[in-house]
Amino acid sequence: MSGAGAKKGLTSGVMEWVGSACKFATDRTDFRRNLLVNLGLFAAGVWVARNLSDFDLMSPQPLT
Amino acid sequence: MGSVLAAASPSPASAAAGGSPGVPGLGSVPPGFAMPSVSSVPAASDQQTADADAPLLNPGTYEECHRKCKEVFPQQMEGVRLVVNKGLSNHFQVSHTVTLSTLGDSGYRFGSTYVGTKQTGPAESFPVMVGDMDNTGSLNAQIIHQLTSAVRSKIAIQTQQHKFVNWQCDLEWRGENFTSAVTLGNPDVLVGSGIVVGHYLQSITPALALGGELVYHKRPGEEGAVTSLLGRYTGDNFIATLTLGGAGGHATYYHKATDQLQVGVEFEANTRMQETTASFGYQLDVPKANLLFKGTVDSNWVVGATLEKKLLPLPLTLALGAFLNHRKNKFQCGFGVTIG
Repeated sequence: MSGAGAKKGLTSGVMEWVGSACKFATDRTDFRRNLLVNLGLFAAGVWVARNLSDFDLMSPQPLT
Repeated sequence: MGSVLAAASPSPASAAAGGSPGVPGLGSVPPGFAMPSVSSVPAASDQQTADADAPLLNPGTYEECHRKCKEVFPQQMEGVRLVVNKGLSNHFQVSHTVTLSTLGDSGYRFGSTYVGTKQTGPAESFPVMVGDMDNTGSLNAQIIHQLTSAVRSKIAIQTQQHKFVNWQCDLEWRGENFTSAVTLGNPDVLVGSGIVVGHYLQSITPALALGGELVYHKRPGEEGAVTSLLGRYTGDNFIATLTLGGAGGHATYYHKATDQLQVGVEFEANTRMQETTASFGYQLDVPKANLLFKGTVDSNWVVGATLEKKLLPLPLTLALGAFLNHRKNKFQCGFGVTIG
């Protein structure tokens, strides 16, 4: 019985954490949340710049 | 950089129509100042030997560290702008600018640039004097002079009609592997106010430069200081720069993908305003088509682009620009023609 009660407490704790994490992730007025999102966007932009920008615009067109 | 054309005011296609130029010395590239070049990193097997042997070069100035990335992004344009540039001699150039704007003021601006005869380098001559005045009498002027082989000075003033708004003087010392600068802004001995800015940038390795900035401001009843630190890493075809200070942080990444394509990524965080922004920009340069295209998108849902096309054989450059703010549902476009 006490094991089931502890399990219930653990589950509700996890649910609470997930709920607050979702609230944090969707709160557009939160500075720390915006900071993390924009840092992630910056890192993604750097990855795109380093890996997806090496196409040669002046190369001849392939023959069809 | 010291030629008349290089010392001219910034291209109108790259500035918002109808707005006055930025405070002299605080935003534009001053004539006579050179950009640090993107240096190559030696092969991995010889890197340690190369690092030990390679002399440390001057790292450039503190303000130029983020500039390479900033230049990739398009400038907002609004209204119509016509610019006529005329070189009167090898040392003197004038420009006439007419702006028609719905948001800002419409008017006429006369600009002139003088480059002296003291040549310090292949593309640098001093003194350089740049000035422009609009139809209301507001003046922007700056004088740059190389005092010695290592010391350069600049004086800049800005007036709004008859009233002096900004006046500043700075001294820059370029050493073998460092640059230091002191700027005195709006000093007023009678009131007891002013701003002092100190910069220092040191080359640590051929690729890494570290530096700092100290801003001290004083006015009656109030004084304070702000410091920030800067680090710049230069690779084969990229430059990564980070500035951290009490007011926030600023990170830029510049990547030269090919001769035609350059990409810039920027991150800004302002702890005072509690705002952060991430921006992505690219520049497409197709010299065979005389075309320059810049585009940008940022985390505030702003999308923008500018296009510049030289209409050869005529000495004409056409500039088109448009910015769309999806979040605020606002659209802004501009059109400019430069002759000469």
